[in-house]
Amino acid sequence: MSRAEFDISVTDDTIAEMLCSDSRVEQAIRLIMKKYGEPLYWHIRRMVVVHDDAEDALQETMMNIYKYRNTYSNDFPLSSWLYKIATNESLKLLKNRANSLQSADDLGDSLKNSVSAESDPDADRTLVLLQEAIALLPIKQKTVFNLRYYDEKSYEEIHLITGDSIGTLKTNYHYAVNKIKEYITEHSLL
Amino acid sequence: MIDLEKIGREMPYKMPDHFIENLTDRVLAEIKPVKKKKNPVFIYLAAAASAAAMVLLLLNPFNIGSMRIPDYENISECKSIDEVFQTMSSDDLGIYSIMTNFYGESTL
Repeated sequence: MSRAEFDISVTDDTIAEMLCSDSRVEQAIRLIMKKYGEPLYWHIRRMVVVHDDAEDALQETMMNIYKYRNTYSNDFPLSSWLYKIATNESLKLLKNRANSLQSADDLGDSLKNSVSAESDPDADRTLVLLQEAIALLPIKQKTVFNLRYYDEKSYEEIHLITGDSIGTLKTNYHYAVNKIKEYITEHSLL
Repeated sequence: MIDLEKIGREMPYKMPDHFIENLTDRVLAEIKPVKKKKNPVFIYLAAAASAAAMVLLLLNPFNIGSMRIPDYENISECKSIDEVFQTMSSDDLGIYSIMTNFYGESTL
């Protein structure tokens, strides 16, 4: 194993180059997991809430990265491409979960219930409320809020990930923030 | 009104220990068979060729091994056609009979 394999400072350009080389693709996957595994896991987990679902979605994300590596273009930042695949996997999982429910509108409540079940018993109550509020958001608002608030992505990057226009993203983020604040205020008083 | 910045970005969930390392191993284990997978057409062709070669070896239709080169030196020294036939092996005689049946004795 080369030293570069575990060097987290390897640039995204180098990883992308390795990803497209059959002899170095395994090394590239290791580096992606080392550098982006945790942020991608948390991005997916915030979307799907349940750990087991996040695990499946992240594994599928990595398999898709491997499968479609030859379609990757250097014009696209590697991190945005990875987040795009992870977001798509999360949305696919949420869609399947919604299909298993009586109504797609029940998805929010189902996710909110999972937040309570998945949260650490010692976790701060406000942190749990924040996740409950996010769980109840419509998918597009949830996606832009998570990417902007937690992953600190710019609207330009979120546009690359979701394909939504920057204007739409700003509007959705604004709505999301207001709904979250309302939910926390309302439930903190209880 | 609530200030989201004051709530912070901490998560109320936990990620299991060594989760990323274990998942990396699982992903790589799943990738390896895919990577080494050969085109199934070549696999079937190779299997068919091997099977055909085995059948040929077992049936030995050309009687490989017992074939011998005719002894032309002795044949040229033979004084009569009967002597020629005496020098021919049973295989050569078999071939001769098939050819005479097919072409007729006079043409040979």
